[in-house]
Amino acid sequence: MNAGERLTDANFPAHPEKATLEGKNKFLGFWLFLGGETVLFATLFGTYLGLRNMHLDGPTGEELFKLPLVFLATMLLLTSSLTSVYAVLSLKQNKVRSLQGWFLVTLLLGLGFLGLEIYEFNHYVHEGHTFTSSAFGSAFYTLVGFHGAHVAFGCLWITTLIFRNWNRGISLYNAPKYYLFALYWHFVDVVWVFIFTVVYLMGKVG
Amino acid sequence: MATHESHKKRSGLMDWLTTVDHKKIGILYLLAGGFFFLIGGLEAILMRIQLIKPENDLFTGELFNQLLTMHGTTMIFLAAMPMIFAYMNAVIPLQIGARDVAFPYVNAVGFWLFFFGGVLLNLSWFLGGAPEAGWTAYAPLSTSAQDTGVDFYVLGLQIAGAGTLAGGINFLVTIINMRAPGMTFMRMPLFTWASFVTSGLILFAFPALTVGFFLLMFERVFDANFFNPEMGGNILIWEHIFWIFGHPEVYILILPAFGIISEVVSTFSNKRLFGYSAMVFATVLIGFLGFMVWVHHMFTVGLGPVTNSIFAVATMAIAIPTGVKIFNWIFTMWGGQIRFTTAMLFAVGFIPTFVMGGVTGVMLAVPAADYQYHDSYFVVAHFHYVIVGGLILGLFSGLYYWYPRIFNRVLNETLGKINFWLFFIGFHLTFFPQHWLGLMGMPRRVFTYMSGQHLDEANFVSTIGALFMGAGTIVLFINIIVTASSKKVADKDPWDGRTLEWSMPVPTPEYNFAQTPLVRGLDALFVEKMAGNGKMTPAEPVGEIHMPNGSILPFVLSLGLFIAGFALIYANWIIAGVGLGIVLLTMFLRSILDDHGYHIHKEEVEADIKGGRA
Amino acid sequence: MADQHKTPETNVHRHEAVQRKLALKEERKHHNVSFIMMILLTIVAFYAIWSDKISDSFAVLFILTLAVVQVFFQLYVWMHLNHKGHDFPIWGMATGILVAAVTVASLMGMIWTS
Repeated sequence: MNAGERLTDANFPAHPEKATLEGKNKFLGFWLFLGGETVLFATLFGTYLGLRNMHLDGPTGEELFKLPLVFLATMLLLTSSLTSVYAVLSLKQNKVRSLQGWFLVTLLLGLGFLGLEIYEFNHYVHEGHTFTSSAFGSAFYTLVGFHGAHVAFGCLWITTLIFRNWNRGISLYNAPKYYLFALYWHFVDVVWVFIFTVVYLMGKVG
Repeated sequence: MATHESHKKRSGLMDWLTTVDHKKIGILYLLAGGFFFLIGGLEAILMRIQLIKPENDLFTGELFNQLLTMHGTTMIFLAAMPMIFAYMNAVIPLQIGARDVAFPYVNAVGFWLFFFGGVLLNLSWFLGGAPEAGWTAYAPLSTSAQDTGVDFYVLGLQIAGAGTLAGGINFLVTIINMRAPGMTFMRMPLFTWASFVTSGLILFAFPALTVGFFLLMFERVFDANFFNPEMGGNILIWEHIFWIFGHPEVYILILPAFGIISEVVSTFSNKRLFGYSAMVFATVLIGFLGFMVWVHHMFTVGLGPVTNSIFAVATMAIAIPTGVKIFNWIFTMWGGQIRFTTAMLFAVGFIPTFVMGGVTGVMLAVPAADYQYHDSYFVVAHFHYVIVGGLILGLFSGLYYWYPRIFNRVLNETLGKINFWLFFIGFHLTFFPQHWLGLMGMPRRVFTYMSGQHLDEANFVSTIGALFMGAGTIVLFINIIVTASSKKVADKDPWDGRTLEWSMPVPTPEYNFAQTPLVRGLDALFVEKMAGNGKMTPAEPVGEIHMPNGSILPFVLSLGLFIAGFALIYANWIIAGVGLGIVLLTMFLRSILDDHGYHIHKEEVEADIKGGRA
Repeated sequence: MADQHKTPETNVHRHEAVQRKLALKEERKHHNVSFIMMILLTIVAFYAIWSDKISDSFAVLFILTLAVVQVFFQLYVWMHLNHKGHDFPIWGMATGILVAAVTVASLMGMIWTS
């Protein structure tokens, strides 16, 4: 059977994302990539933690951060993580429309998160907290911005994926692609949990 | 089971630009890495010529700094790394009984990223001068440099580094998922094991460097303040990030050489590797410890006696697994029927040379003593003993050993031995006197010295040695030309090999194994030879073979990043946007266009087997 | 791999399908529970800081612990690290986290020396 063929309920494997060698390779390779990404973000976190008190004349994190807004952003991203896991459940049940629906909700939540982040950054810049104003500014925008870029890339990714497979059922060819996106999205959420805690909450206590 | 799309056969240049075959990508890595090796070597010889006599004024000041920076950067990132990837590509799938790597497309992306990154970096020579802040690019030297040299450094290496990371993940997955039936982890040849650990180190060390380069780029292009003390920044952030990557990098380089030496010593001693499981354990342990010792590059920063002591002890601990390896190689040779081929000569030359580099390494690991050695020629001697005396001798050994498998010709042994002796003697002439130069107080990275300080003779000898090494390398290239022009095709197993890469005919079929082999022990081919079979037992019947399609997209994607990087150096946002647009477009095309590969039909495979081609 | 599912539907096959359905139902329940847990953890962390009722140093330790617990839920429940066949992913993440910890500690603790 060809990997690109639409699966039926009768021949649907328990793990369509790992049913081919290509799928297994992608699955493992992507997990390892996430292990590397952990180090990438750790380096950014370390840089931020080393420089977070170096705000010079500019406002401190305590003065700047608007926790309710960030809390809302956190909720959006957490919920989008749940919807992407629902999409994976639909994937395992061969329900392609429900899968696409949940991923579309994920996309919308992700875009909402990005909107909040842009609003937030814009606000900070007006408060005198810019990329070049201090070491704190550089480190803050680099860490949070790297995460934001990951969210933006994820939005592009899922858009392309849904667009390409809109009229196609689940196959052994596209199942790993859906699954990998969900992994990526969860990971981005994991990073945000730490940004929320380390940057914003800890920023409030100094 | 019909073929999805008709398979386009490409020829000539287009074939090389679109190939996803690991054997061809290995050759590309070898050619590009070899080219950069020549450039880096030339830079070294020019530096040595400047230092041949006191107060010489041939290449002074800025130009010397550029040569020095580009020599180190080129040799590490553009010569050594790609040549390691060349062997990994050429050999690993064959050694584990796989038809391909896990991600053939990503493999091509990795190569082209490295290639364009290297080209970008070297273009700096023609566009306002090469970087001059040393290969370590310490801030504030790198952040305050006014010309564009460091911009080329940071963007070129960023692009090349992304390719390396892709390659690392590819080989991890290949080794975990694609081993032939019976090829358990503890039956893998040691080169595969070493490459496995090296790939793991790449996976966890390169992201730190990626961030470091981003920070440096942001600092230079977008006026960020990570390393600027006036704005609250801290220069030590760069040093830490660089060495958190940089020390594992040393093991990324040396472990594959350990693997090559293990293969060569075992093959040419006609003996199973002594202490195989200890060798594996030592390899993994070195990989692990490699992450815990980076501060020994920063002893003189002043992090305090406790920190320095902890990292000193951790550093010295690495001598233990390394010692295990040295003894195991010696015990492998003990009582073996040794054949001194060129490959074996390089391997045997490697052992004492590397031990000397290791001993000076332990000396440098003592913080109190390091305050004396730091930034002197003693350090230069030490790391050239481990990198040239270790890695490069290993790579040469591997080249002579695997050349028949990669290029279907056996290199000329007489020229090979001339190559070895010139290079080996030249190496020790160059670097042995540098220990004394360092102890007598000559700092590294200086472009001249005064006469009457007892530095003249050693510097003169050192330069003569460098010329010997150059001559040795020229002999190698003569050898390659001579071999290429001979019509004599290599035997499929010219060294009486022990591992799977010697089990298929020459040239290696496109699909490597007509039938996946069944592995029945360590040194899989040797096990079958001992059982009287002489060839591998197949693990499957002859059938259709699935192959990946070639693609031009990896080339275009890397070209896009090259354009973007180039534009960023000159702060041309429009062209940078175009470059990134090309990158995104190729990624979009890759996800939009299905690529199911194609099949080689059973009849073709059967015909190949009958004709002795598979 | 896929070939084994091509056999005509048999009782065994139907039985397997029912079992798979039950497992998925169970999984959905786990996902919902972990979602609620994560929301709660986030609210607790938020409140711990917002209310200003506990001392700063304890609060930092407390919210960091909550973050780690939450990540555990993400990795093990939502990203299925608790399922079979995840040995190498676990190795990869564990090594990544180890190197990450060393990196963060050094950049936090070893740059402002006197």
